[in-house]
Amino acid sequence: MAGLFQVLRGQADGTFKKAEALEGTDGEPLIIPVEKENWVDNICTRPFAVDWDGDEHLDLVVGNFTGTFFLFKGEGKGKFLPEPQQIKVDDQPLTIKGHHSDPFVIDWDGDGDLDLLSGSSEGGLQIAENHAGAGKSPELVAFKSLIEPRQQSASDETLRDEDLTGPSSSTRIWIDDMNSDGKLDVFVGDLVTLVAPAGGLTEKEFKAKYDEWQVTFAKVVKEMNSPSGDEKTQIEARQRFQKLYSQRSEFMKEDRTGFVWLYLQK
Amino acid sequence: MRMLLLSTLLVGCGLAVAGAAEFEPPVRLKADGVSVRVESPGYAAPCWADVDGDGKKDLLVGQFSGGKIQVYKNLGDGKLAAGQWLKAEGAVAEVPGVW
Repeated sequence: MAGLFQVLRGQADGTFKKAEALEGTDGEPLIIPVEKENWVDNICTRPFAVDWDGDEHLDLVVGNFTGTFFLFKGEGKGKFLPEPQQIKVDDQPLTIKGHHSDPFVIDWDGDGDLDLLSGSSEGGLQIAENHAGAGKSPELVAFKSLIEPRQQSASDETLRDEDLTGPSSSTRIWIDDMNSDGKLDVFVGDLVTLVAPAGGLTEKEFKAKYDEWQVTFAKVVKEMNSPSGDEKTQIEARQRFQKLYSQRSEFMKEDRTGFVWLYLQK
Repeated sequence: MRMLLLSTLLVGCGLAVAGAAEFEPPVRLKADGVSVRVESPGYAAPCWADVDGDGKKDLLVGQFSGGKIQVYKNLGDGKLAAGQWLKAEGAVAEVPGVW
């Protein structure tokens, strides 16, 4: 079931036990409780274990599909209260730009309190700074961008490995002083779709096919979005759209993958 | 909050930095000479931790497909060994619920 928190417990000999769902102090699997219509809220995108409230017990700060954050308060020895608190700013849910919140908690600015950083479905890295100061309950401010998402362009449709110069979308982050220079660095994982010619086409043939497909595709999209089109016309346009989209595989191989990028802090 | 000059840095992937931090242009990590990458449909989720207890932090990369995790052992001098699947109880570890 999506939304549960899984733990692979480390053994004394350095190996791991199989994943098991983390339970709350009530003995039930831990999960973000949501109303039926907001089911994507309870799909956790990343749990991050940290002593958020300074009581010397690990808590869980978790993200979700919607892009908000919840705190499961720890009771010590891996036990967590089942009812989480939503993390808020000015009484409103703290929300990233984009979706798929990806919490990482660390004292980013070295002022003694814990800041909350996150990746996003849109890419990039965002930070909600903590203004509370050392030893006080967190007082976050709204997210701002620390690393801007990669600019999208029409050429992304035919992106090749050699075109990549930085992370794409759906960023997942990790922060540490990777090179031991005393400054925090950022690891960024991503999602990207790379393409290549299919069916033995040369690059030139591929480009010609793709350009031709693009013209037809744009025409169908226009028909589909036309406000003047009747229902029958729009249904037909949608069918042509689906057929056309699947036809791409005849001349184009698409490889959805993800890489890991490192930003060293200057 | 520590006040630093607002700085921006133009790198290959666009305007990369805002706020109190400046970064070098991003570098795609390699292991054994090959880019670290995950299986389709992507969603690489990195973690930097000493998983083998040798005193050096290693790179772990989670992925969407099968909920599996690759471990890239830190060889020192900025080098990573080829990835191996993280194992649990002798089998490739899988995190259920990732579909």
